Amino acid sequence: MQSSNVINYDYTIAKYFAIATIVFGIIGMSVGVLIAFQMAFPELNNLAGEYGTFGRLRPLHTDAVAFGFTLSGIWATWYYVGQRVLKVSLAESPFLMFMAKLHFWLYIVGVAAVVVSLLMGITTSKEYAEFEWPIDIAIVLVWVIWGIGLFGLIGIRREKTLYISIWYYIAAFLGVAMLYLFNNMEVPTYFVAGMGKWYHSVSMYAGSNDAMVQWWYGHNAVAFVFTVPIIAMIYYFLPKESGQPVFSYKLSLLSFWGLMFVYLWAGGHHLLYSTVPDWVQTMGSLFSIILILPSWGSAINMLLTMKGEWGQIKENPLIKFYVLASTFYMLSTIEGPIQAIKSVNALAHFTDWIPGHVHDGTLGWVGFMIIGALFHMAPRMYKREIYSKKLIEIQFWIQTTGIVFYFTSMWIAGITQGMMWRATDQYGNLAYSFIDTVTVLHPYYTLRAVGGALYLLGVFMWAYNMYKTMTASKAIEFEPQNASPMAA
Amino acid sequence: MNWLNDSISLFTLIGIGAVIVITVFVVGKYVRQMKTDSSTGELAKEKWDGIGEYKNELPIGWALSFFGTIIYALWYFLAGYPLAAYSQIGEYNQEVNAHSDRFESKWSNADEATLQDMGKGIYFVQCASCHGVVGDGMDGKAQNLTFWGSEEYIVKTIEIGAKGSGYPLGEMPAGLLDPQSAKAVAAYLVEKIAKTGKSKNPTLVSEGEALWATCAGCHSEDGTGMFGMSANLSNYGKSEFIVEVLNRGKKGMIGNMPAFNDGRLTDIQKLAVGKYVTTLVE
Amino acid sequence: MFHWLEKNPFFFAVGVFLVIAYAGIVTVLPDFMESARPLKGTKPYTVLQLAGRHVYIKDSCNACHSQMIRPFKSETDRYGKYSMSGEYAYDRPFLWGSKRTGPDLMRVGNYRTTNWHEIHMYKPSSMVPGSIMPSYKHMFTNTADIETAYAEAYTVKSVFNVPYDEEDMPKLGTWEEAQKTAIAEAQLIVDDMKDPQVKEAFARGEIKEIVAIIAYLNSLQ
Ligand code: HEC
Ligand code: HEC
Ligand code: HEC
Ligand code: HEM
Ligand code: HEM
Ligand SMILES: [Ca+2]
Ligand SMILES: [Ca+2]
Ligand SMILES: [Cu+2]
Repeated sequence: MQSSNVINYDYTIAKYFAIATIVFGIIGMSVGVLIAFQMAFPELNNLAGEYGTFGRLRPLHTDAVAFGFTLSGIWATWYYVGQRVLKVSLAESPFLMFMAKLHFWLYIVGVAAVVVSLLMGITTSKEYAEFEWPIDIAIVLVWVIWGIGLFGLIGIRREKTLYISIWYYIAAFLGVAMLYLFNNMEVPTYFVAGMGKWYHSVSMYAGSNDAMVQWWYGHNAVAFVFTVPIIAMIYYFLPKESGQPVFSYKLSLLSFWGLMFVYLWAGGHHLLYSTVPDWVQTMGSLFSIILILPSWGSAINMLLTMKGEWGQIKENPLIKFYVLASTFYMLSTIEGPIQAIKSVNALAHFTDWIPGHVHDGTLGWVGFMIIGALFHMAPRMYKREIYSKKLIEIQFWIQTTGIVFYFTSMWIAGITQGMMWRATDQYGNLAYSFIDTVTVLHPYYTLRAVGGALYLLGVFMWAYNMYKTMTASKAIEFEPQNASPMAA
Repeated sequence: MNWLNDSISLFTLIGIGAVIVITVFVVGKYVRQMKTDSSTGELAKEKWDGIGEYKNELPIGWALSFFGTIIYALWYFLAGYPLAAYSQIGEYNQEVNAHSDRFESKWSNADEATLQDMGKGIYFVQCASCHGVVGDGMDGKAQNLTFWGSEEYIVKTIEIGAKGSGYPLGEMPAGLLDPQSAKAVAAYLVEKIAKTGKSKNPTLVSEGEALWATCAGCHSEDGTGMFGMSANLSNYGKSEFIVEVLNRGKKGMIGNMPAFNDGRLTDIQKLAVGKYVTTLVE
Repeated sequence: MFHWLEKNPFFFAVGVFLVIAYAGIVTVLPDFMESARPLKGTKPYTVLQLAGRHVYIKDSCNACHSQMIRPFKSETDRYGKYSMSGEYAYDRPFLWGSKRTGPDLMRVGNYRTTNWHEIHMYKPSSMVPGSIMPSYKHMFTNTADIETAYAEAYTVKSVFNVPYDEEDMPKLGTWEEAQKTAIAEAQLIVDDMKDPQVKEAFARGEIKEIVAIIAYLNSLQ
């Protein structure tokens, strides 16, 4: 209760980003629930003319959750964790404070531009990199500003040895910077031809090359947005909330460098059996298998940190979030490699099993970590107890049910679909027309949508609990060292 | 179904089983440790915001597995399937050739009923999206196959003409005959030219024969179509005629029927779907 | 040694960068030239087709449809010949997709036709009962952006040497010429269509999005 109060950490920016996380989470996941229902009840495509069709909304969902919800969450935690493990306050440097504010506001402008442009159908079609060049430029700018803030804060740190979380934040910064730049090489057509839409551009790469660059990017966007900075979070919040030391430095070290080395090679698993060279595919497949271990390394390190602490898991709902997040991280990082085995991918690729895999990663791991992290931060940032512990408990179980609905329905749907596409009759001819393989999925699509709605309900409960914590909960005088204070 | 005979499907089911079993097993192991074990070890000297760190050794199972997967990958890449030793297109060609040989030898002499049954499956996959599952053409979106090929339909053809399959003679003009004469020609066509069965109006056959000259100019005396200059009516209403439609496509009065000459259907399959379609005529 | 790195953020960052950077160089670069070569007979899109492609991208058809026929019998039976790298040489961006909520469209031009698309795009479930594809009525009223399509064709011709205006290749010419070509091409499609509003608009000189996207879909062979 003493050490951390010596330095007066400044949480202004962390608070901004925390609110952005909640807002974008609600937007992104509401759209997710809507598109999930659209797949079960296609009439829902007609709610808002051309702006409400599945095609327009799907990229809005993916980008709002990845670059709205997740990035905000990452930055909310960075502006919180960074100061604390480096032992330096943002308030100590007016320059860094200014950069941080600029970072936030420019980012908000960028996200607003993304939302509008995607609804209008302004997109380059590349998954997780849909934006046209003016927005690309804004994103690069935001990134550079964050980078200056990141290394600036590291530069004035008091704690000489970088904590594990910092390793991962640095890696996230570098990884995304490199990937994003190369995947967005595009030529604005207006400047060459002098006519047409001013914001339109054409990719520098064509066909198979474009695909290769895109999935080198796309796979590692998963790595450096949905994985690396989330690991940064768990390495801080789980030991901090539980008061338990991290299980093994060696395991942290090997997992980190292993992950860095292996991840980048695995992008080929998005292009198995396509027209990219066979050897690139083989690399993608093999490195995916190896990738299980550095991924599991971090998760195991966290689970072992909780050795003997079953009582905490039962008592503290935040620990529940973190432990289940590690578990879902393990689930999706064995599922991914199995899907990357060529013979399995032959069936799994293009099916609903892939969104199934995606969401046990994003809902179970990314979502739970961010929710849990912000719950830990709130009492310390606002100097109030968490408004309701009971509500967190209920939220936890509702969301867990939602995730289970989501991935089980998509596993069944995906495998059914994949098998039906391949199935032959007794003559060796295709057994099903395409539409047969669509209509059978109706019950699973419905179940998934219900699961998603449950998860979203949990997000609303989280938002409410956070709001109450910020405004109406019981004030606390001293910051607690470990377990977050909660009203019953 | 043949799902379990399909190695890919089988593999996938094993795969998803492995995902569940391995995750439950490994996580279960650590959960037990949470319940029973307790944490020990030598602490590092640093503390980051109060977080400590043990200097524990690597979990042995993890380290061995990591090492194992690396060895496996090296083996795979250097010895198992070295660079350029595998070609997915080569594998595809083998799969398809083997299948084609089996298919040919098994079904090239298939009887009528077998072909019809095979054709039914093909129809649902390839044709039903335009002609509807029951073949009614879905409110005029494509040809109504329960009507096409019938005697009445010939009458209608004479009334409206025909076009769109790219025969050298081009279009068949509309209204070549009055309705009564058309009926007679249709009777003759069915019974004597196409020989698909007894006409519904047997009394008109001879009258039709007298009027056939109107048609013979383009379709020849025996209806064979002047060596490909126009449609071969001696096949009218039969699977052979349908195969011809599939090969040529048709940009007719109703709309466009695509040609099926991109290799998705073999000759046997075309014949089979033709056989099935002829059963739709009422 | 690693503790040393953890105390020196600069070298730490350089280390991380090196470790993550070279995988890309090794896997992405070697076949870059090879994969860029067009197959014999592969042609760049005409301006109208390109405008249709832009509509396809605008409405993210690629969210549900792939354009990648993998070399499996089950796929080639359903969709036609497996895809070859050279066929994509003029695809900027590539549109392989990663999810088949709907069928592959790589060669849909071989087995679907203008009037089929017209009915289907207006209300998919009227053509395919049970379809969950959204209806695209707005394409019948929105006007296609031929200008941007021309700008893109012009750009790839001048920047990437895409062989427009060469022998046996689509003609691009000046903007005025390109407009005429696009209208002539659209004429053929409008002739096969039924919607009176689209026809009327065309008579006024407007090419609706639906006409462009059908031109594009028909070109997928
Ligand atoms: C001017 C030449 C010409 C004359 C005369 C003519 N036909 Fe045809 N007919 C054609 C052509 C060409 C086709 C093929 C149309 C196509 O599908 O492209 C055809 C097709 C047909 C078909 C198949 C139509 C379909 O859509 O399946 C029938 C039946 C037919 N003719 C019957 C007759 C009969 C009966 C007569 C005489 C009353 C007749 N034709 C006279 C040129 C002619
Ligand atoms: C994309 C839509 C489409 C598909 C797929 C399709 N058809 Fe058609 N088909 C049509 C249309 C439209 C017509 C009517 C052409 C006209 O205007 O006469 C037609 C006409 C026909 C005719 C009558 C031809 C004639 O001579 O008048 C036959 C027979 C036929 N189809 C059989 C088939 C079979 C068998 C298949 C599948 C193997 C099939 N079609 C697939 C659209 C289709
Ligand atoms: C919500 C998912 C979804 C979106 C978005 C979507 N489709 Fe589809 N599409 C489907 C489904 C499902 C089918 C199969 C059922 C059917 O034929 O309607 C289909 C079928 C098709 C077919 C018929 C292909 C065949 O082989 O029968 C075409 C062509 C097509 N879509 C074009 C488009 C275009 C162009 C767009 C974008 C403007 C689009 N689709 C957007 C789901 C979608
Ligand atoms: C060991 C780690 C992992 C491996 C080897 C892996 C592998 C794969 C594979 C093989 C696919 C399917 C490609 C296809 O056939 O289309 C995939 C898709 C995907 N995975 Fe993973 N995965 C891993 C972990 C994760 C995690 C932890 C997340 C998120 C939290 C994630 C998010 C995604 C996403 C978003 C996609 C969809 C990409 C697309 O749009 O097509 N993955 N992954
Ligand atoms: C309320 C919860 C959510 C629901 C109901 C939901 C629903 C959906 C649906 C229906 C799709 C499209 C799948 C398809 O095309 O078949 C999708 C895709 C996707 N969602 Fe979500 N989603 C939710 C939350 C999230 C969250 C929190 C994230 C990330 C943090 C996320 C990331 C993604 C990604 C990356 C894809 C693309 C997957 C791919 O291309 O394979 N979703 N989601
Ligand atoms: Ca871009
Ligand atoms: Ca995808
Ligand atoms: Cu990946």
